[in-house]
Amino acid sequence: MHRFLAGRLAQALGVLWLVATLTFVLLRLVPGGPFDRERRLPPEVLANIAAKYRLDEPLPAQYLRYLSGLVRGDLGLSYRYVDRTVNAIVAETLPVSALLGGCAFLLALAVALLVGLFAGARPDTWADRLFLFVATLGISLPNFILGALLAWLFSLRLGWLPSGSWGAPADLVLPAITLGAAPAAYLSHLLRATLIENLGADFIRTARAKGLSEGAVLLKHALRNSLIPVLTVCGPLAAALVTGSFVVEYVFAVPGMGRFYISAVTDRDYPVIMGVTIVYTALLVLANLVVDLVYAVVDPRIKIADGPR
Amino acid sequence: MKERRDWASNSRKRPRPQPIGNLLSAILQKFFPALCFGGLFLFCTVACKAAPQAGGEKAFRVNIGTEPPTLDWSLATDHVSFNVIANLMVGLAEFDRDLKPSPVIAKSWEIHDGGRKIVFRLRDDVLWSDGQKVRAADFAYSWKRLLNPRTASEYAYILFDIVNAEAYNRGKLADESAVGVVARDEFTLEVRLRSPVSYFVPLTTFEVTYPQRRDIVEKYGPEWTQPAHIVTNGPFLLTSWKHDHKIELAPNPRFFLGRPALEKVEMFMIREKTTALSMYEQGRLDFIDNKSIPALEKPRAAKMAGHQLVPQLRGYYYGFVVDRKPFDDVRVRRAFSMALDKNVFGKILHGGERAASCWIPPGMLAHNPKIGLSFNPPEARRLLREAGYPDGRGFPPIALGFNGDEEDHRIVAEAAQGMWKKNLGVLVRLESQEWKVYLKKLQTDPPHLFRLGWGADYPDPDNFMKVFASFSGNNHTRWKNPRYDRLLDAAATEPNPERRARLYDEAQKVLCEQDLPIVPLFTTTETTVLSPRYTGLQYSAMSRLLLQRVRPKHSPPAAGRRP
Repeated sequence: MHRFLAGRLAQALGVLWLVATLTFVLLRLVPGGPFDRERRLPPEVLANIAAKYRLDEPLPAQYLRYLSGLVRGDLGLSYRYVDRTVNAIVAETLPVSALLGGCAFLLALAVALLVGLFAGARPDTWADRLFLFVATLGISLPNFILGALLAWLFSLRLGWLPSGSWGAPADLVLPAITLGAAPAAYLSHLLRATLIENLGADFIRTARAKGLSEGAVLLKHALRNSLIPVLTVCGPLAAALVTGSFVVEYVFAVPGMGRFYISAVTDRDYPVIMGVTIVYTALLVLANLVVDLVYAVVDPRIKIADGPR
Repeated sequence: MKERRDWASNSRKRPRPQPIGNLLSAILQKFFPALCFGGLFLFCTVACKAAPQAGGEKAFRVNIGTEPPTLDWSLATDHVSFNVIANLMVGLAEFDRDLKPSPVIAKSWEIHDGGRKIVFRLRDDVLWSDGQKVRAADFAYSWKRLLNPRTASEYAYILFDIVNAEAYNRGKLADESAVGVVARDEFTLEVRLRSPVSYFVPLTTFEVTYPQRRDIVEKYGPEWTQPAHIVTNGPFLLTSWKHDHKIELAPNPRFFLGRPALEKVEMFMIREKTTALSMYEQGRLDFIDNKSIPALEKPRAAKMAGHQLVPQLRGYYYGFVVDRKPFDDVRVRRAFSMALDKNVFGKILHGGERAASCWIPPGMLAHNPKIGLSFNPPEARRLLREAGYPDGRGFPPIALGFNGDEEDHRIVAEAAQGMWKKNLGVLVRLESQEWKVYLKKLQTDPPHLFRLGWGADYPDPDNFMKVFASFSGNNHTRWKNPRYDRLLDAAATEPNPERRARLYDEAQKVLCEQDLPIVPLFTTTETTVLSPRYTGLQYSAMSRLLLQRVRPKHSPPAAGRRP
């Protein structure tokens, strides 16, 4: 287990380095710089700005400075939000995105378990077909449309829920539903399909032959075996949800990290782009590692060994 | 690392789970569905609670669109930051309804040495929020900080007319005391200019010239603008700054013009215009402008109580690259200009945009609607024929470049494309690019025709006309005319407004009639809606939202004096 963990951590560091380097190089290849403005700045002013952010140094020196900052956990100064460090931006916005993403993730899982179990246990019934229709709609409906629809209906027309404010628990509801809808539909689909497959397997027939109740067969045997593919996608899904969504945060004015994926690129705010990319990568790698560990727990057939025996 | 997968599901020797695995296994098997359903239940419980209203009852709520990049007025460059700063601070002067500078902290100013020296006399009753008096030294410090190369201010160049300012900013002069701004005594600020310029006093209405407290800036460094540290002198105090969400202001009881009537101001940062408009309609915002009204909703906004169109000192133009065929021929440029019916743009954009013939916008000194070419398709066709392209035949393929981040630019471009096709027989290709890519392209390889705009930093024609001077980095047309440059130089130093306006008339004739490197299309307008419950809001021609005199409609105006 320890060797496995050490190996995976070494891999993770390699992935982080690769992503950091690629981001650094790609950003320098994109036309347009962070200080290109509608009103062009005089050369002397541009020189002062370049000196402040060390952009006047050769690229290899900038790269090494960036890497050494990364090792120390220093993501640098934002070019756009001139009084703020990238660390401060991430520290303020990631918890917001994580809260929203966490709620959306739990909601998606709960809906997937409920609907997946219900539909999977009764394949080819009207309820199953209705579920398939709703799930397909959930997957194919873009979240900017769903968000706008929910905001219009529940906030503007009915006045039941707020949209555009942040701070109260009720502010979470519409963005979390919008963010969690597509994953919920996808996970339900996945769980339903796996459940149907497992319910026809030999071990289920054995369980039924032993006289177990249908509920016990479904929950203790079929569901447990059907969780593996769900777990596989849960890792990257959780990482994607907790690091924020540009569209949902934009539509509902959520002060999270997601908005920086687009706005930092349009502003060419290199340190912020690199910072959010690294944080996202780190969470993605971590989530995948956790999923690998959970595999062994959920399915005893999967085992993580320390070495050759 | 080894990862072994044993797929023998019926094996009698089931691998023993790890101790921690046992725990997790138990949780996953027994509690995972329960946790998920519990989460869903909790979520539904929260969802069933009534939606709370944003802010308290007495708060005046506006949407500023986005997070202000900074509240340090030496570093601010954008409207969002300036909109907050304009409610926290006042400077030497403000511009009045006629867009002329009127004194605020300055009691008066005197011009000496033929315009090379300006002496500002300051009021002695203006206080910082911590109770200290605003002194001339606070201005001198702020201006030198703006010029300090280590501050790396983008607006440092705005003070380059001051003696030694440019050399200090370039790092060629280390001694800041040699810069020509000095506090002669506690309330006298003396500024020495390298040459007399008429726009210097108007320039002191611009936020970047507001005073600063050396002790505060040096004590807190980059954090000095945080609510716990910042010291200001304007109508409101910064009480809370929740990044990317909301800024809260409270009235400043020490404000020398009197405490504002509003008990609290909440400035939300809502990017999605539809969301902001919904909030206004629900009564959760009290004021909205272009940042909160989608273009398609502007006709509906026009019917709302409290709707107002505020003309802005912002011009929208198409530029020709004059050193490249076919626009190296002035007849082609004139033909393209005369083929455009500029009244169309206001109708299709729904924002009250005003058609422009000259470059200096309405409201500013030297605006002259008689200057410029009018819509005249027959004359446009004649000019094109004369240039060798009868009915557009043989016209080389050309492109109109614009940034595609705002839908308005595409709407304008498509309308212009249609008019050129109809009136000249020329098909212009539209080339849309991302903003920063577009700016880079303008600097390196501009398209034949390009879109840009210009907004005033301070209400003086020099700010507008210098854009197309031969030395200007903002002149992407590659057009140069020494006469135009000379006229601008003469106008900049001319103290008499009437003679100055005549000089700008001459310069505008060169720009908009004779050489025509640009076609001014329209000046922009801000659509604003103020809740009928309030009155007294001022929205300036430079997009500043001023809340100092806002009050509930049925309450008396706050006690206050005018300077």
